[in-house]
This record gives sequence, C-alpha cells and structure tokens, in this order.
Amino acid sequence: MSKTLKPTRRKFIKAAVATAGVAAIAGSPFKSAFAAKFPERNINVIVPTREGGGADRNLRTFTSVWKNYLNVNFEPGYFPGASGRVAYEVYMGKREPDCYNLIFGNMGPELLNWVVKKPTFDLNAYLYFGQVDTDPGCVFVGAKSKFKTIDDIVAAGKKRKLNVGTSRMAHPASIGILALGEKTGAQFNLIPLSGGKNTVAGAVTGEMDFSVLTSGSVAAAGKAVRTVLIFDDKNKLGARLNNAPTMNDHFGTKLPPLLSARAFGIHRAAIDKYPDRFKVLQDTFFKVFKDPAFKMAYLKAKGDWEYVNPGGVKECEKYSKDIAEIGERYKSLLSGAPKKK
Amino acid sequence: MEFQFQLFGPLLIHTLSYWWVIIPSIFLGLIVGAIPGFSAANTIIILLPFTLVMDIEVGLIFMVALYCSSRMGAGIPAILVNIPGTAGAAATPLDGYPMTQAGRGQQALAMSFVASSFGGLMTTIIALLAMPLLAQVGYYMHSVEMIVVMLFGISLIASIAARDTHKGLIAGFLGLMIGSIGTDVVYATPRGTLGFLELYDGVPLIPALVGLFAVSEAFLVIEQKSILSKKGLDAAPSVGWSATLEGCTIALSRWWHITWNSIIGLIIGVIPGAGASIASFVAYQQSRTYSKTPELYGTGHPEGLIAPEAANNGVTSGTLIPLLILGIPGGATAAVMLVVMQYQGVTLGPTLFQLNPELGYGVFMAMAVTYFFMILTILPLARFMTRVTMVSTVYLAPCIIAFTLIGSFVPRVYMFDMWLGLAFGIIGYIARKTGYHVAAILIGVILGPLLETYFLRALKMSDGDIMVLFSSNLGNVLWLALFATFLVPAGIQFKKNRRLDESREAPNG
Repeated sequence: MSKTLKPTRRKFIKAAVATAGVAAIAGSPFKSAFAAKFPERNINVIVPTREGGGADRNLRTFTSVWKNYLNVNFEPGYFPGASGRVAYEVYMGKREPDCYNLIFGNMGPELLNWVVKKPTFDLNAYLYFGQVDTDPGCVFVGAKSKFKTIDDIVAAGKKRKLNVGTSRMAHPASIGILALGEKTGAQFNLIPLSGGKNTVAGAVTGEMDFSVLTSGSVAAAGKAVRTVLIFDDKNKLGARLNNAPTMNDHFGTKLPPLLSARAFGIHRAAIDKYPDRFKVLQDTFFKVFKDPAFKMAYLKAKGDWEYVNPGGVKECEKYSKDIAEIGERYKSLLSGAPKKK
Repeated sequence: MEFQFQLFGPLLIHTLSYWWVIIPSIFLGLIVGAIPGFSAANTIIILLPFTLVMDIEVGLIFMVALYCSSRMGAGIPAILVNIPGTAGAAATPLDGYPMTQAGRGQQALAMSFVASSFGGLMTTIIALLAMPLLAQVGYYMHSVEMIVVMLFGISLIASIAARDTHKGLIAGFLGLMIGSIGTDVVYATPRGTLGFLELYDGVPLIPALVGLFAVSEAFLVIEQKSILSKKGLDAAPSVGWSATLEGCTIALSRWWHITWNSIIGLIIGVIPGAGASIASFVAYQQSRTYSKTPELYGTGHPEGLIAPEAANNGVTSGTLIPLLILGIPGGATAAVMLVVMQYQGVTLGPTLFQLNPELGYGVFMAMAVTYFFMILTILPLARFMTRVTMVSTVYLAPCIIAFTLIGSFVPRVYMFDMWLGLAFGIIGYIARKTGYHVAAILIGVILGPLLETYFLRALKMSDGDIMVLFSSNLGNVLWLALFATFLVPAGIQFKKNRRLDESREAPNG
C-alpha cells in the first residue's frame, strides 16, 4: 500500500517552519559561521620583520606542520618598515578581521614600539593568542673582538662610551644593556642596525664594539660570534652560547628575563565575530607542539628547541603586561627623548 | 680556510651534469628579471615549497642560476624600452636605450650579455680564488667608508649637472628629498609621509624606477610612431646576425673595462647591505670619470652600457661571499638563500668549507657554469628580442604602462604603488619635457636613503661629531679618491683646452 501524500495541517506547518528556518539561515549574515567549514582558503600572515630572520624561520617551520591540521596553506607577507610598525598598521587598517588574517609578531620589540610611540589604532583591538617560543636577549662580540668576557666590556665601558649594535632601539636586549650600564656605571651607546642579520654583522665586522640580540639568532651565527652575557634566569643553550653567565647571576641584579616572544596575533573583532573559527585556530595551534614532525622540522631548521614555549592568550597577556612595564621604565632612553625630571 | 683545489675539476664536471636544472633556471631568471617588480628573491620565495623539497644540491644550483640570470634579464627591458627591471639595472638605460633608439638595440643587447656573462664569470673565478681575502672587506668597510662610496655614486648627479648645472642640481636635490621620505633609521619617526602608511618604509623603488623611466617614456613615445629614431628606423630592417657579432666584438675589445667594473661590483657586493644599485651607479660614474670621451656618455656610448652591466653581475658573486664565509647575507636574494640552506640543515659560516666543501665551492662552480651556459643560450636571442622595438607605439606604449604599473604593484601588493608609479611617470614626463634629467632624480631616490642611513649611523656612533667622517685611514683614502674623480676630469679638460689654445696660436705665431 502506498502512503498517502495528502498534506495535513500539522505537516504543512512543520514544513513551512523548516523551510523558513533554512531560508533565514541561508540568507543571514551568520550563514558562513553556521554552515561553512573553517578554514576554506589559505590564511594570510603578516610578518613585521624581513625574510630570512629568526621570526621567518619559526613561522615557516611552525606553519609547515600547522597547515596539516587546517588543510590550508599559510601565506606570509613581510612588512619590516619602521621597526615593524608598518606591519601592525597594515594588519589593523587593511586586513579583514575574519580569522583568515593573522600577524606573527615578535611580542617584545613590537610591544616596546607602542611604549615609545602609540600606534594609530586602539591597542586593545588585537591580541596575541599563540606563543611559539621565548628567546632571551644576550650580549655578544665578534670572534675577533678583543673583548673576551662581559667584565672586559664593563671595564672598557667605564673608560669610554662603547657603541652597541642592536636590532632596533625598542628591543628587550636594548633594555638589558641599558640596565647593565645602570648597574655598573659603564657607558653604552645604542646603534640601531635594522634587523638581526645587520646586528650580527655589526659585531662580526668590528664596526660595533659589541652587539645585543635575541640569543637564538646569535647561536645560529655559530663561530663567527661569542656570547658573553644572557638576559635570562638560565643559559638554556649552554655551550652553544659559550656558557655565558646570566646578568642576574653575574651582577647580582634582579632583572626579569628579557625575552623576545614570537606569537600569532589576531584582531579582537575577528574573535568576537567568529568565535568558532578562533576556537579552531587555538585548538589546532596547540596540537602542533605535540606533533613530532614539528620538533623534527624545527631542529632541521637549526632552531633551538629549548626556546620553544607554547602559550595561549593568558601567557601572552602576562608577557605583554610585563614588557610594557619595563619598557615604560626605559622609555626616555629608547625613544631618544630627554628624561623628564 | 684552506683551498682544496683537487675538488675543482670533479666539481666542475659534476655541476655540468646539472645542465637540465641550469638551463630552465636561466630562462626563468631571465623572465623574472625582465619583469619590473619581480626579482630572484621574490621568485625564490614564491617557489620556496619546491626548493625545500629539492635535494640541497639541486636547490642551490637552481637558486644560483636564477639569481645570475635575473641580473642579466633586468638589463633587457632597460635597453630595449627604457624599463629597468630592478634598481640594479637603473644605470643601464642611460646609454643602452639611446643605442636602441639609434637602431643599435641588438648590438646593445649583445654587449650587455657579453659584459654580464664575462663580468660575472670573471668575478666568480676571482671570488673562488680570493674568498678568504674578500671576506675581509666587510671588516674594513664601515659606515664612514660607505658614506664615501655612496658619494661616488651620487657625484654622478654632478656629472649630469655639468651639462646644465641648475637643472642637474635641482633634479638631484629633488631626488634626495624624495629619498628622505619615510621613517628615520634611528627612532623610526615618520617624515614627509603625508599621513600615507604606504610611505613609512620610504618611497618604494620599483614605482619610482618604472615611473621615472618607463611610464614617462611611454608618455613621450605616444607622440611618435616608433621608439626608434628616423635613423634607427632606416637601419633596423637591414640588421642581421652581424649586429650581434659586432656587439660581442665591441664588448670583448673592452675586456679591461669589463674586468675593472665587475671587480667594483664584486667588492661592493661583499659589503653587507650594499647592493647592485650602488655598484652600477659607482661603476658608471667611475667609467665616465676616467674615460677619454666622457662627453659621449648618455648618448649611447658602449662603455656606459658595459660598466653598469659588468658591475651588477660582479655583485652577484660578491653577495655570496659573506653568506658562505660569515653566515651573513650580502643582499635580499642571499638572505632568502640562507633560509633555504638553514631549512636543509646546512650551517653557513667558516665551518662550511671544512665540513661541506663540495657545497661551499659548489655554489661558485654553479655560478661559473651558469654564466657559461648563459652566453651560449641567451646571445642568439638578442636578434629576436630586438623586434619589440619595431612594434608601433600605438600598441607598445599602453603595454609599457600596463606592465610597469603591474610591476609597481607586485612587490608590496599595494594599489597605492600603482598610483605612485603613475605620479612618478608624470614627474618624469614633465622633467623630460623641460630638460631635467630623470636619472639625476633617480640617483637621489635610490642612493639618498642609503647615504642617510650610513651618515646618521656614523654620527650616532660619534655622539654627533662630524669629524668622524675623517676618522678612518681607509675612509680618508677613499675621500682622496673621491676628490680625484672631480679633479682628474677637470685636469684633463684643462689640458685639452690648453692644447687647443696652443694649436690655435701655433699657425699665428
């Protein structure tokens, strides 16, 4: 017996409600949030540094594994201008807040930028959600330098002002050397050299008396340089950083670790608008650290596994607060403005 | 670092066996070099996923071949249609394009190919043999010395101004002022950006380059039927293979000029941060200064074309020396190559030649083989490439504008840069129509920011003491050489005038 197709009133109402519901969802702006799978296309990442640096290496290594969890590729764009300021302005001003646009920043130097000079956008309009590594600053000399230890540097700095190469004025390692000068009375003149490679070159070629930089980049320079001081609680790389002492151990200071932390950032508006997409990003982000392929790729790219330090929104927020506080203390020296009396 | 000469023979044969990688890479490099906005660096970045899965040896040979040929490629549109593909080829059209206009485009291309290949090959051999010595250059060329090197290039403005002092200097200063737009190098404070975020990094080079040279040229040629002069049009149809041969002969007869200028490129390339744009202007300026016929420069003089082409290919080998020996890339392409090598787990620096000598020497061997293949494969194409100059300007001018504006867009993917290219085109057009030299503007735009960087750095290092400029022995020697470049031509001119006067007086007396 065939079933009757005669519509009843109840059936009609059910069908009408269902149809209206489907139509409403299909036509609503929330359509994509409900129906679409995320991500459907490649994810753009703005990088505030040049190609070939430590941030670039970390980004490429990390995303080479992250893409397997998201099934899309990452497309980096490099905007190193004005100490990374351009990248953030482009990200906040010209990129859609849709979770398809991320920024891979070096939290330390870039947050110090805002201490020195506020950007045009609201600082609360973005946040960091995925910390990949924390890389402490260090003091290093060229292999041919007459300075063998940090004590040699301090002694010379008491006699004349020494020129110190730094990647940018507003950098955690720059703060470290200013703190050392404050503690010992040695005089240091920070010279910004625009980027890690130039900073290493400044020390290696002897144009600078010595340089300060994140220690991962210094370790990567191998025998061309010699590290003499670390701005962290411990020299995690040991012999790769010439067993250099830490500032707190050697000089009895109580300086917090001066780290550069590379992390993914995102528009806050994107999180508010697409919480489900953000959740996908967060969940898959942490899966990468547990994947043996990431460690393999990281080590293959000569990264320092000791510095890999996964962190979420909470860790990034704490880091941001700490670095902003210490930046405020040295603001006048980093910005070149006269110290207020 | 000890030489392992015994490796050279087997390495050469081994590298030759990679012809199947080298030849396609040469053509790819030629294409990306010829398109404004593209370069070896961004092509390697685009192709990074492929490069990373390649065997390290194949990947390296591919990158080196692409790098070398892109330099040569950049000179082709510079000569034929006045569009330098990169800043390194900015000095090429000064004499290359007038040759094309005169119907000698094929000859000019042949000269450029020979100068590029032989200059590159020669500096590769020198680099291979003198690597440890050349690596030392970076230890001596600091900010003060680099200021003087920049001034060598910038003094070309003075040479241009010699033809019309006021207009030359105004154009040069305009260029320097445009070059100072952007954030300052010490405290990253924006200057002259008019609130445009796109100008924070300074005026982007490619829109300035293509705007001043190519777009303004396109505006000019719209007014004519062909980019060739009447004489050029008459001569063009009858040009055969002999023009290529003639170009080769002219270039080879100036072998000493190629050698000297490619060495200038090599030395400038070794200095981290310096690059092909500096080298080509310095080489052109040096070539003109010590020439017996400086007045011919800018009118289609072979030496004015050979000098920048030999120099910018000399830079190619130079930039790889600090990369391989010190682990510091000498330029943008070298920086990208560093990423690839790090990915492959290769440690660059002094230990490379101890732990992996085949790879270290292999880079230069690949370069030498590439230059060898380049001359064989590209030279015969000169005749066909020149045909583009026969295209009517009705079609050519819109194509030039479209291509160059796309080229302006490519490096940073900003619409703003296309408008900027157009704005520079209008500036260039007005400058040409009113007798101002666009090259003088461009020299300021390219070298101005570099000069400022080194100058501010030197001043900051000396706590503002201007005497720092004369604080180094090498710097002082370079200052003397710079003064000599002003005095020598003046002396030669004085002598010439005196002889002329004497010869005039002789019949009377």
